[in-house]
Amino acid sequence: MNKKWGMAIDLDKCTGCGACQVACMQENNMPIFKDDSDLPKRVTFLDLMKVTNDKDAKKKYGEVQVAFVPKMCQQCEGNNLGAHQPIPLETVKKRVLGGEKVFFPGITYDEQDNMLYKPEVVYTKDMVEDLEKKGVKSVYFDNSQPPCVSVCPVVATDVGDDGVVSQVWSRCIGCRYCQTACPYEARAFNWWNPRYEGDFKKSLNPDVSLSSRGAVVKCTFCSHIWKRERDKLLAKGEKDLNKVKYNPACVSACPTNAIIFGDLNDPESPVYAKKLNNDERAVRLVHSIDKADPKVREKWIAKKNYPNPKVYYLSSQKWLRDILVGFKNS
Amino acid sequence: MKKIERKDFLKLAGGVVGGSVVGTVFSGAPFDGLQWLVEWTQDQYVPARGAETSIQNICQACPNGCNLSIRMIGERAVKVETSNGACPVGQTLLQELYHPERIQTPLKRVGKKGSGKFMPISWEEAVKDIAGKINKIRKDKKPQSIAAINGTHNTAVNQLLGRLVKASGSGHIYHDTCFCDLSKSAVQLTQKVEGSLEYDVENADYILSFGARLMEGWGEPNKMYNSYLKWKKNKAKFVQIDTICTRTASMADKWIPLAKAGTESILAMGIAYQLITKHGKSSNVADLSRWSGLNEFTPQKVSAATGVPVEVIEQTAKEFVSSRKPVAVAGRGGKGVSSSVAEIVAVQCLNKLVDNLGKAGGVYVKMASNPLGEPKLDAIAEAGIKNTKKARGLDEFIAKMENIELLFINEGNPVHRSVYGKKLADKMKDIPMVVSFMPLINDTAMYADYILPTLTVLEIPANEASKAVGARFKAKHTGDIVLEIAKNVEDVSKVFTWASYKDVVKLSGKTELRSAASFSFSTDILKKHFEDLKKKMSEGGSEFNLSLIPFEIPVVGDGRGMALPYVLKSIDGNTFSMGRLYVHMNPETAAKNGVCEGSNIYLISKRGEIGKVRVHLTKTVAPDVVAVPLGFGHEGYTVYADDKGVNPKEIMSDSIDPESGVADWWYTRIKIS
Repeated sequence: MNKKWGMAIDLDKCTGCGACQVACMQENNMPIFKDDSDLPKRVTFLDLMKVTNDKDAKKKYGEVQVAFVPKMCQQCEGNNLGAHQPIPLETVKKRVLGGEKVFFPGITYDEQDNMLYKPEVVYTKDMVEDLEKKGVKSVYFDNSQPPCVSVCPVVATDVGDDGVVSQVWSRCIGCRYCQTACPYEARAFNWWNPRYEGDFKKSLNPDVSLSSRGAVVKCTFCSHIWKRERDKLLAKGEKDLNKVKYNPACVSACPTNAIIFGDLNDPESPVYAKKLNNDERAVRLVHSIDKADPKVREKWIAKKNYPNPKVYYLSSQKWLRDILVGFKNS
Repeated sequence: MKKIERKDFLKLAGGVVGGSVVGTVFSGAPFDGLQWLVEWTQDQYVPARGAETSIQNICQACPNGCNLSIRMIGERAVKVETSNGACPVGQTLLQELYHPERIQTPLKRVGKKGSGKFMPISWEEAVKDIAGKINKIRKDKKPQSIAAINGTHNTAVNQLLGRLVKASGSGHIYHDTCFCDLSKSAVQLTQKVEGSLEYDVENADYILSFGARLMEGWGEPNKMYNSYLKWKKNKAKFVQIDTICTRTASMADKWIPLAKAGTESILAMGIAYQLITKHGKSSNVADLSRWSGLNEFTPQKVSAATGVPVEVIEQTAKEFVSSRKPVAVAGRGGKGVSSSVAEIVAVQCLNKLVDNLGKAGGVYVKMASNPLGEPKLDAIAEAGIKNTKKARGLDEFIAKMENIELLFINEGNPVHRSVYGKKLADKMKDIPMVVSFMPLINDTAMYADYILPTLTVLEIPANEASKAVGARFKAKHTGDIVLEIAKNVEDVSKVFTWASYKDVVKLSGKTELRSAASFSFSTDILKKHFEDLKKKMSEGGSEFNLSLIPFEIPVVGDGRGMALPYVLKSIDGNTFSMGRLYVHMNPETAAKNGVCEGSNIYLISKRGEIGKVRVHLTKTVAPDVVAVPLGFGHEGYTVYADDKGVNPKEIMSDSIDPESGVADWWYTRIKIS
């Protein structure tokens, strides 16, 4: 697929009504407890955070402001450290034939960005010959990984080719490495068995499996809705998966259309990444490298892993952008 | 018969056992067993599958009527999709529908009142008992001892209960206080017609809100959200006056911090003074200039009283008067609105001064409608109505309530919402029969003798074109229940000619918006209001050194949402955390009163004390003000809402507004310990 799903949240339009949060809980079968006021142990995918600038010592009463920030899994991409250098197929062939074990740590692409192999393949003679037959001249690999995926010992969390970071509840062994690695605290751990008392069971969505205790869960951009839409399209005879369009539950529920969703690669989409990257109002959570001098940015991106999330926050308020971006003294 | 040898028997038995073992293994049963074991050890529930369909309905939680599309899996409703900007209430409807504590059958009290012990009875029995009681009261010639308290939303169907009470011979028909109620008295006073205020904020280009938290559930939320988007598009200016920096204040183009809580009406008069003296706005209709008291509202004096700088007052007045379509909005609060009638009148004066009454982008009067018509009364009823000592509002009714024999509570929760809630609970203990109609037991229904289960929004088809989720248990539509009771009351049954509530729904026509031509009132109302306000602000002397004002948090609103677990999950940690409610306070206030972040305190007013609550320090609240969240502290509203925090209404001011008969609880003097 050539899609890269992303989200843009216009915080100027967000009233903090809470519709996104409740819609998310309903769609994703959030567990129900009598008292859920222990915040670190609360299981939600979308957290509607209330943010103020009242920690700023210079601000007095009358000058402070309040904003709500819906925070879900930011679907990090990683910045593809060490990749994007095309390697001529000849070189690969020489090394393979020379008995060397040629290992590509990420997804392998040809020059035209067509995916050749899924992650982590050791090249064999047959594979190289096959590529030669197809006329591939050089390959490169894409090693972009979110912070959580690289630490998962059981591949319970992974990145799909549409950029959505998946999480398989039943595969999770509950080590919570990913939760520690997540820069956004977007993952939640089921400390207790999720309960759905009495008839609450009737409102459970069959498209989202229920987690058991001891598993980490998180927002998946409602990928089950994508599947639902895909099935509808397939039933109509459409075979191109790139034509599937969908909106996660929070997006459809927002009464002021503050949350918008779409393809970051598509220039026509309202969340076209190149446009958002140049937008003064747009920031990404705890990602101050975006706002650094371009030269400095290039230097560091080549050296250091950054989460590179796919959720953008837009605000006309400087104080709010500073807090979100994670600048000091904000 | 051949005798079976021991050896053969063993062989046979062995064969059977061996065969069954092999059979079991090959049947796949062990694998099923393992699957089952996995599910059992993990206690995992798998939601039932079914055919996927969707049904269309219209939300009736407020008059706006947003479209709902309900995703169904078989017979189960699993998701509500909202399209035209519906508010979060639409999303919570499923939780209400499938609440495990839904009332399943009519209930009759068995334990002591308030103990919450009920036994199930049949519909026939319940209807017979209630209708019998009305018959008996009417026979005793005291029909004025019947009363009804409705929920806020006033539709044709909701008027059925009022009609029953009226036709039986009582004028005691009240409802949970809302902005309609308060503005009704203001309209009555100033424009001499029956109706409530309807602000056309959508088309205004300068919106001056006096504490009305428009983005936090005020009025019809959907309308407000859409208006906001329209303001942004049309570059309208939205100015919010509030003591707390709420989200509405931050969304506004300008927030005027009202450092002295509760002085909205003074600021309104201050702006009116500016309009009259500086901008030459005529006030001969508003009667204001003739009132010498207006001189009390010079910028300097208003600034001293409200804490708003003189320039800001002058600037605001200038902007207000020079806009094309300015509107001033009254009604402090979000979901739970409280203002005195005089305050609404004061704000209405501003609207009159810029002459926007009945104009697009101004203020209309939403005429009170009576689609059912007046019921024909018999002799007993006529005498009863004559003898009814009708209170002007719910709170006054509760305070003065005596000799009530039969009380109907329809959907509302006055025990929790009213500042007279505790009093109502006490008085309900002495009322021989209290009947409540509701889908979930709440604080008020705990004191009822009969609880009749009603339908939730998703179970009611809004019109003939829409479809509803199948009704659950033995719940019935409130309208049907009232019709059934009415049919069993002698003589009264004649004025109920409808077969079911569906016939009544058809009657509700369009709401009529009108502009009444005249606008005049006796300025004594304002004079008295400002005298009372002065008294209120110095109540308790220097001992009660702080002001208590409420705020609301998303989805919880003023308490309705607390029974729904997904709402509890959304409460932020600075409001309710680890089972403890937080009040918000300015760091300055905290330092003065010797408390710090996380301190446990009690809030004490002249009415009593509540606690413990914790302190959260934030500069969003004015100094010398304590901001307390509404909606918490339920005592009988399902396991989810109970024993969570405290209900500030218990200590909030209970001074009854002389015009509306409703308590003006917004502002209270308190101290902390």
